[in-house]
Amino acid sequence: MNVKFLNPFVSAAHEILSMEMRGDVQRGDLRLENGPYTTDEITVIISLVGGVDGTVFFSMSKDAALQLASTMIGEKFETLDKLAQSGIAELANVITGRASMKLAEAGFESNISTPSLIIGKGATISTLDYPRLIVPLITSNGATTIHLALREGPPTNLKAPQLGVPKAFELPKP
Amino acid sequence: MDAKLLNPFIQAAAEVLKAEVGAEISRGNISLQKSAMTSDDITVLINLVGDVYGVVMYGMPTATGLNMVSKIMGQEFTVMNSLAQSGVAELGNVISGRATIRFSEAGYQSNISTPMVLTGSGIEISTLDFHRIVVPLETQFGTLTVHLALKEKASGEATAEFMSSLKVPANPKDS
Repeated sequence: MNVKFLNPFVSAAHEILSMEMRGDVQRGDLRLENGPYTTDEITVIISLVGGVDGTVFFSMSKDAALQLASTMIGEKFETLDKLAQSGIAELANVITGRASMKLAEAGFESNISTPSLIIGKGATISTLDYPRLIVPLITSNGATTIHLALREGPPTNLKAPQLGVPKAFELPKP
Repeated sequence: MDAKLLNPFIQAAAEVLKAEVGAEISRGNISLQKSAMTSDDITVLINLVGDVYGVVMYGMPTATGLNMVSKIMGQEFTVMNSLAQSGVAELGNVISGRATIRFSEAGYQSNISTPMVLTGSGIEISTLDFHRIVVPLETQFGTLTVHLALKEKASGEATAEFMSSLKVPANPKDS
């Protein structure tokens, strides 16, 4: 895991969480883990594909998820229903999206996948040979931990050839 | 989710399982599920990004995973250690990769993410507003269940529509 991918995520998370959670965001101690990730009650998974390759997990307890969703949507949630789930997934999506914009500015253009939500504690998720950098974040309305299992993607020059040339603009044959 | 996205995966799975594991597959009943998926012992999760996007999951019991990995690597595995997990992940990776090649032949460019291996049954995996097509593939080594929660990017269609709405004179010199 390359540490230069860390800051875009930390600053994106800070910006989004302080805006959505209306309060201070504190960062806990960073650490690096090699083994598989054992799930917390709620986990959002988003993959990055492109200049940066890998996976980001957002893990949190159920209480934190309810608190985050309630603050974000402005409605008190008692159970983690569809709307609350989609709120949590969206929060992760926005943070990852903003981080990927920052990464693109630094020259690592990548696409992010749709989020998936894992509900259930104690399963393990292996990112295989990608070690995870762990960033705990504490807001006034719930805490979440970001796990970054990222590395620099293969150099792709696919962007240009992937764009089809419309017939009307093709050069006339001599 | 569109059923036409299904066939490339089934074909790819049949080819890969035959080549790598020597398994003949027979397809079980296809079903569409709207609720969250409850995980099997082993679930390989791969995201697709691009013109076709979403999540593909390959679920299997531990025994099936071990049987297949033992076959792929030519050595007996009795526990799902990290090498066995990497073998199962690779199987999912190769099937998904091959399916996306078929998509690109059909004009849909997508990339696949690195695989993740989820171990532990009874965990809920929600793909949110993506419905899942579930296809059990039965082999002599056990059942591999493919879950597809995919969508097709609308921009491809919009572009085609936009292009056809542009009135280009047949011969630019005439205008």
